[in-house]
Amino acid sequence: MAAKTKVQRLPAEQMFQKEIEALIAAETDPIPTGWKMSPKSVLTYITGGKVGRKVITPKYIGHKRLVEIAIATLVTDRALLLIGEPGTAKSWLSEHLTAAINGDSTKVIQGTAGTTEEQIRYSWNYAMLIAQGPSQEAMLKSPIFHAMETGTIARMEEISRCASEVQDALISILSEKRVSVPELGLEVPAKKGFSVIATANTRDKGVNEMSAALKRRFNIVVLPAPADLESEMDIVKTRVAQLSENLDLNAKLPEQEVIEKVCTIFRELRLGATLDGKQKLKPTTGVLSTAEAISLLANSMALAGSFGNGTITDYDLAAGLQGAIVKDEEKDSLAWKEYLENILKKRGLKWSGLYKECKELNG
Amino acid sequence: MGGKEQPIIFGIRHLSPAGAWNLRKLLDQVMPQLVLVEGPSDFTEELSVLADRKTKLPVAVMAYTSDTPIHTILYPLAEYSPEYQAVLWANEHDKECRFIDLPSSVFLAYMRAAGIEEDAGEEERISVYRRLDELSGEDAHETFWERTMEHFSEGDGYFKGAEVFGKNLRELTQGKDWDDAETIVREAYMKRQIKKAIDSGIAPEQIVVVTGAYHTQGLKESTLELSDQELGQLPSVESQKTWMPYSYYRLSSRSGYGAGNKAPAYYELLWKGYQKGEADYAARSYLSKLAFWQRQNGNMVSSAEVIEAVRLSFSLAELHGYRIPALRDLRDAAMTCMGHGNFGEIAQAVADTEIGTTIGSLPQGISRTSVQNDFYRFLDELHLRRYCSVTADDLHLDLREKLTVKSEKSAFLDRERSFFLHRLRVLGISFVNWQQVQQENATWAEHWVLRWTPEAEIEIVETQLKGDTILLAAAFQMKEEAKKEQGIAAIAKIIEESFLCGMPEMVSFTTSILQKIAVEAAAVEEIAKTVHSLSLVIQYGSIRNLSSDALVPVLEQLFLRACLLLPESCICDDNASREMIHAVSMLNEAALRHEFLSEEQWLQVVTEIAQRDDLNTKVSGYAAAVLLERGTFTNKELELQVQRRLSRGIPADLGAGWFEGLSMKNRYALITHMSLWESLDGYLDTLDDEEFKRALLFLRRAFADFTAREKSDIAENLGELWQLNPQQVSEIVNAPLTQEAQEMLEELDDFDFGDI
Repeated sequence: MAAKTKVQRLPAEQMFQKEIEALIAAETDPIPTGWKMSPKSVLTYITGGKVGRKVITPKYIGHKRLVEIAIATLVTDRALLLIGEPGTAKSWLSEHLTAAINGDSTKVIQGTAGTTEEQIRYSWNYAMLIAQGPSQEAMLKSPIFHAMETGTIARMEEISRCASEVQDALISILSEKRVSVPELGLEVPAKKGFSVIATANTRDKGVNEMSAALKRRFNIVVLPAPADLESEMDIVKTRVAQLSENLDLNAKLPEQEVIEKVCTIFRELRLGATLDGKQKLKPTTGVLSTAEAISLLANSMALAGSFGNGTITDYDLAAGLQGAIVKDEEKDSLAWKEYLENILKKRGLKWSGLYKECKELNG
Repeated sequence: MGGKEQPIIFGIRHLSPAGAWNLRKLLDQVMPQLVLVEGPSDFTEELSVLADRKTKLPVAVMAYTSDTPIHTILYPLAEYSPEYQAVLWANEHDKECRFIDLPSSVFLAYMRAAGIEEDAGEEERISVYRRLDELSGEDAHETFWERTMEHFSEGDGYFKGAEVFGKNLRELTQGKDWDDAETIVREAYMKRQIKKAIDSGIAPEQIVVVTGAYHTQGLKESTLELSDQELGQLPSVESQKTWMPYSYYRLSSRSGYGAGNKAPAYYELLWKGYQKGEADYAARSYLSKLAFWQRQNGNMVSSAEVIEAVRLSFSLAELHGYRIPALRDLRDAAMTCMGHGNFGEIAQAVADTEIGTTIGSLPQGISRTSVQNDFYRFLDELHLRRYCSVTADDLHLDLREKLTVKSEKSAFLDRERSFFLHRLRVLGISFVNWQQVQQENATWAEHWVLRWTPEAEIEIVETQLKGDTILLAAAFQMKEEAKKEQGIAAIAKIIEESFLCGMPEMVSFTTSILQKIAVEAAAVEEIAKTVHSLSLVIQYGSIRNLSSDALVPVLEQLFLRACLLLPESCICDDNASREMIHAVSMLNEAALRHEFLSEEQWLQVVTEIAQRDDLNTKVSGYAAAVLLERGTFTNKELELQVQRRLSRGIPADLGAGWFEGLSMKNRYALITHMSLWESLDGYLDTLDDEEFKRALLFLRRAFADFTAREKSDIAENLGELWQLNPQQVSEIVNAPLTQEAQEMLEELDDFDFGDI
């Protein structure tokens, strides 16, 4: 992994530079135009494995087949749409895919309600435009424009948050694979290797339906929540380790037992039933995603590192859980209380410390 | 066998299109005199059926033991089965073809010895395949097989690949698998057959042996063939065999070999691809067919999406280093491009495209089982042929004799039809569907919905396992059920069924079972139910032209038993009293209906219940009502009872409970009994406030289901008693509750009935 820098968060291709280099160095399979490595190596990069003696850490755990489909889609120069609930590693996967394929995951458009068509195509440096008239220099190219020129992959985050006319702007780009600049009388065709990875949320507020026409231009991969407790714990463990190194958290990595507790609580509240399926329970309003479990643990580590003895205690965990779970004050607080009394309290000694701390906080 | 004089042993995978194709190529090349196929050797005589041009695959040969418990082995063949193509090739080129595995009777004997119902070997095999999955790195051995074998069509790749695969599989499993011993015997037997062929003068190189890849190594090794003596020692059971049409659906759901038949329709596409010489034919047609199905069912799928799916499937295959996509790639590509990432959207289309609805058929007459013959004979005889269509048809039957026709046969045609259809229903054949008749008590009317599906044909063939004719099979089925059942009510149900099916022998058989277990029956409620259903059968048996004489003694026996148990059973709480009243009512009906049941005895029992003071008063009240209805209770006796039951000092719940029971029957008679109302009035007067509240609860319940007319009649009585204007009283009684009264009643709900 890269040396520590002062940057808060390094892009994937820098964070895993050594792994990418090792994969490229050991490449034996044919490499598609515009790619840095073969599809097989991309798969190894994402799902983990070994190259020579270098261990490749898994970036996306579970559902290997979905990753295969995603990569195969990009080989066919089709655009890829990753759909899933919040926190199912959509952006994470798209970042790592572009990092491995192009060695560049920074061509990103963040979709918001305020995203305009210009941000998808191109806009102008108006000072220069007024001073010199339209010229190549006065043009501000969008990440997608850049990707087309260089034959690489652009990312479009949260596409479903954009207004539908903005989404529609993508349709012509994806079907024509060229952008015209009438001001300059220019037609810019996409180079081989150009594609788009978009991500979209299914279950969130303020989401716009995507038109069938746009959906048809994408191959859609639905990313599910982790299939079982073990794989979720795996994901959380790996990611927390990476995060803590990055953030200098000065705390010990959480123990297996702590991760298990957090994942169990999250999964149970997410599914609305205990893991053994015997008891139904009230789920919370918010989506308790794996991503949140990861940030919760990082947060607890920060608490433990800064104010505690460096080991995550039940006290630290309880504070994190309270914040993550109780988002809608009244309803969530009740659901959480019910969960504490009906489930946690009866789980025996291992859980009793956590139960007490949580109870105290939740009042 | 020495190394030099070995015949060509072609290892295959059952139901493998590539195997079939490569086998044909090899046969064309070698032009052998004799083709030996792994399959029960006694099936050789049946092979002409396969070669018949009218036979449409898939079909199956089934061998089954003649006696119970029935064991079966099934040998399904599809068009792309290498075995089938071997037979076909031999027939086309006028060469000889023989099956060389152990005879089916030996297989069946092994199964019986092991106590296995049906192909249980599969489960064992699956663990082998799981190990294989781990070794191959793919998570489905199907996919592994498909990729490594089914897509390989150049040179002798299949031939060699299967051999290596079989060898590896053997190394993985030998000594661990349960049927190792059987394998050794089978291979020794096959070798004996091969040797016999060579000894008869056919040069080894003129023989091609077609066998499962697993056995190639075994046949090549120099173990000894089965000796004459050993042959004599093989176990054997009496067995029979029959051809049956088979369906892709069954092929996919009841795979017997654990390999290669989960998606028969797709495998057929692979086979067609081989015939056309297009390696990617299956991929393209799979996705187009799937899209077509989606469009047919109202889901828009554009050609562009199909093209994208094809491209994606190929790049998925490339990711694994293969040229042609496997089924798994195709399915995932379809999910991504046509199903918007959700498998649910295409699940039905996938099922249709992979499994399909293809059903085989056999030439008329050749291979019809006796049950089929019987079935079709009945269809003709009962003029039901025209209902053999795929659209659902209604059939209304009138079981009564038709007086307008001359012959007896047509007069009772509908009755015979009903018997036949009921037998099919009992056998679970999906051709018939019995509908409830709306009109109540119309025991002569029946409504059926008939719909013919080829699946029904298969079900009928399978019925052969139960008996040689529809009648025998139905009898067998019912006997099996009757043997399992313990409760008398359930047995009575079977007796009812045998009546519906028009099977008098079955009636006497089940009746004897009933008789045996009836001795043990102790629950009055259940006995009463049984009496009720038997009584109905006897009552309406005549419409089905069945003598119910055999039932009479059992009914008598059960009735007597009920009479003996009844009084003591009436010592019960209020909840149980409802059931007891139901039992009394059913027994009473039966007693009224049949003269052979002792009237005298019944009345004695009822009188006892009516008079005893230690029984549940509600049941006693009901018994009194029965007696009153029958006219055995004189007015005087009633008065006596009323006075006794409703006298001062009797707790309110007992008194009012008795009245509730009494009022459940012949209300009209009760209303006219002035003395009854007088006694009731007098009794209520004796109660103090607290007791009155209790009594009120029972009385409210008792009067709850009186009609308005009845209520006003009672009001009239009471008015007369209290010297009031009857109309005013009626108004008060029938008026809806006022707010005030409602509140008072609600207070009553809080009343503590704990000590009642």
